[in-house]
Amino acid sequence: MNYNNLLDLSQSLIDGVLFGSIYALIGIGFTLIFGVMNKINLSYAAASVAAAYVSLLIVQTAPPALVYVAAALVGGVLGALVYLICFHLLPLNKPLATLMSTVGMLLLIDEAIVHITAGMPQNYPAMFVGANIDIGPLSLRSDLLFVFGFGCLVMIGLTLLLKRTRLGLATRAVSQQPVAAQLCGMSITGTNMSTFVIAGFLGGTAGAMAGAAIGVLSPLLTLPLTVKGLVVTVIGGLGSIPGAIIAGLVVGGAENLFQYLRGVSERDIYVMLLLFAFLVFRPGGLFPPPAGRD
Amino acid sequence: MLELRQLSRNFGGVKALDQLDLSVHKGEILGLIGPNGSGKSTTVNVIAGLYKPSSGSLTFNGIDLSQRSTHERAAVGIARTFQNIRLFANLSVWQNVWAAHVVRDSGWTGLRKRWLASGRTARDEVQELLAFSGLAGKADVLAGNLAFGEQRRLELARAAASGAELLLLDEPAAGMNAEEIDELDARIRSLRDQGRTILLIEHHMELVMAVCDRIAVLNFGRKIAEGTPAQVQNDAAVRGAYLGAEATATT
Amino acid sequence: MDFYLGLAQVIGVHTLLGLSAWCLLHTGQVSLAQGGFFAIGAYASGMLTTMAGWPLGVALPAAALISATVAVAVGFPALRVKGLMLVVATVAFAEIVRLVCFNLTWRVNTGSGPVGPDGSLGFGGIRYFPSNGWSSIEILILIWGLVAAVMLALAWFDRSRIGTLWRAVGEDEVAAQSVGINLTAAKVSAFGIGGAIAGLSGGIFAHQVTHIEHGNFTILLATFAIAYPILGGLASLWGTVLAVIFIQGFLIEGLRVLGDWRSLLFGALILLVMLLRPSGIITSPIGRWFARSIRFDRPAAPTTGGKTHA
Repeated sequence: MNYNNLLDLSQSLIDGVLFGSIYALIGIGFTLIFGVMNKINLSYAAASVAAAYVSLLIVQTAPPALVYVAAALVGGVLGALVYLICFHLLPLNKPLATLMSTVGMLLLIDEAIVHITAGMPQNYPAMFVGANIDIGPLSLRSDLLFVFGFGCLVMIGLTLLLKRTRLGLATRAVSQQPVAAQLCGMSITGTNMSTFVIAGFLGGTAGAMAGAAIGVLSPLLTLPLTVKGLVVTVIGGLGSIPGAIIAGLVVGGAENLFQYLRGVSERDIYVMLLLFAFLVFRPGGLFPPPAGRD
Repeated sequence: MLELRQLSRNFGGVKALDQLDLSVHKGEILGLIGPNGSGKSTTVNVIAGLYKPSSGSLTFNGIDLSQRSTHERAAVGIARTFQNIRLFANLSVWQNVWAAHVVRDSGWTGLRKRWLASGRTARDEVQELLAFSGLAGKADVLAGNLAFGEQRRLELARAAASGAELLLLDEPAAGMNAEEIDELDARIRSLRDQGRTILLIEHHMELVMAVCDRIAVLNFGRKIAEGTPAQVQNDAAVRGAYLGAEATATT
Repeated sequence: MDFYLGLAQVIGVHTLLGLSAWCLLHTGQVSLAQGGFFAIGAYASGMLTTMAGWPLGVALPAAALISATVAVAVGFPALRVKGLMLVVATVAFAEIVRLVCFNLTWRVNTGSGPVGPDGSLGFGGIRYFPSNGWSSIEILILIWGLVAAVMLALAWFDRSRIGTLWRAVGEDEVAAQSVGINLTAAKVSAFGIGGAIAGLSGGIFAHQVTHIEHGNFTILLATFAIAYPILGGLASLWGTVLAVIFIQGFLIEGLRVLGDWRSLLFGALILLVMLLRPSGIITSPIGRWFARSIRFDRPAAPTTGGKTHA
């Protein structure tokens, strides 16, 4: 491998890791919901993309930064809706029913997007396009760097929220001992709902970031984001936020690396094999959940 | 028939079981008692194979259990009930018992056995067990829809159906009223009379004192006393464990 | 008329796919790998009839066997994970299979030009039915004959001791182990049998449509596979059939008059069924009537009592 190849390789890796912050956000969302409810919300990534779509409504009048904020807020609202429809109305002891209801929601959201936009990709505003930062022979794409920075900011905010506030405490309490938490006066519905809203904020942000990084929003984004988000959740360790962050960056980097090495049509095979490697050698993920006694 | 030697099990830094020695003899009803958190349920879970011991040995009829998985332990003759009832909730009462019964003669050897078997079929035996547990009229009901006491009875019938020589009963009387406990007492005795060995973990002292041949007392994962009910009742260390250190000082 | 024949064929193929997921759901495993096994069956049988020139009667069982073998190989590592982890692991497997199909190019020359999988262009020319003069009706009879055979086998199986053991594992793994049920055997056998059925349905699918490509085998297909038995209710095999008719017949074809709005209703109706019937359709009065009037798939029960507790 000569110098130029090595350079290209590093460049792909950097771009991938920066893009990986989006996977990290989606992974955190899955992991948050799983941590509190012990259930998967398969419609999550679709709702995230949908939130970004909705934020396009103000794209004519507002600066891009505001569009991203709008996406996050819409994500929160959608999160609450998904919780109410797909989880709150269903009996908790029927895990298959909630799994299926979120599948129904995934299809509904997907089709709503296709229906309203007639399946056409929509341009999404990006920031700092073209203003690249060169570090020696490598260059950091500013738009990706912005996505990465924005993602980091959101993650820091989330960590503070969970560590420092009553809500965060309640979230952790409910996830560890729902009955005891309820006896201590915490509302399970309230906590679950806030978790979905927070996850929705993250998802909306991730949807907007994906739109900004790629330049367009398309309904074709939802399935890959769902799959990659789930992969990130498992590699990171179920319920672990730091795990999801690291796994998101790793998956983003690996994806681009394999794309450079093996081409776009084969890259996901290797990403999935990476997942299998984790399942075989480290089934708990990077940060395995503590093993309970019972 | 069951020998625990120097058995320890740690959870993080907590020693749930600390160098426990315990023998269960064939045909007896051995009570295992102790305050909450003394390691009783851990003992059951280690014997049943849900937890691996941190150290020590575990043999059953001379077979080393440490390399055997949970279902293999059931196959060599150890069955259990659970403190928090675990039935196959969406299977009928009949299917719950049947599943435990048929599993021992599935596979090739079982096929041969079924072929050669005459007279009593699996169905008859399941029916008998249901009658024994007072559930014969409810064979078609989903296990999850049974009343609490009935669920406990069904769990006992299921454990017995697996044909085990040794039954581990983990707090079978919890939540039962006096009448149900009397019935349970009679059932445990009649299981023993059928030639089974029983390890009874229980908080209900009247039942333990009445039904057990021998009793072992655990505290902080260690065995602090062992003997007949009368011996254990008069043991200073046991009183201390249950009533606190001052009580020992005053006796 | 041809339209209805085609629809009936599609429903048959999807019923088989749903039944394959039914096997796994019975042992409590939510597997999204069924689409992968389906794809393996489709490609394998297509390659056997076109490239190797095997007759369909041999190629189909062979494809089922290949899928079953792969499924057993997947089943062993899948034992280590459950719940969400299993869902993700099986998604990953199905994606790998799809991407391998996407990248697989293996053309051989036969008398009538090159045949075989052609990478992203897919795998066309699986023309066993037309070149052997099968009519639509005959294909339909073959498909539903296979559906009937598989359903009878599964119904017998469900009544048998192994079926009860599967259900026990699906209900409570720990309790199942403590009565002596071998989890490995139960789960891997479910994977194997489910894989064989999925492979069989994939094989028929390939020959029915004559052109297959990776886009046929996305996660969405696997989602449908588990959606059928879940929507239909695990209590009865008929639930799966009803759900396939509901989704493929009513939602996809029946609502075509609604134009674009159909696809919107699709997800909403799945959601609605789940909200109204969290345990699936077959627990509904109609479903129970249906299950009662056709009794062969009721799980084994003693003759005492006569009440149905569906």
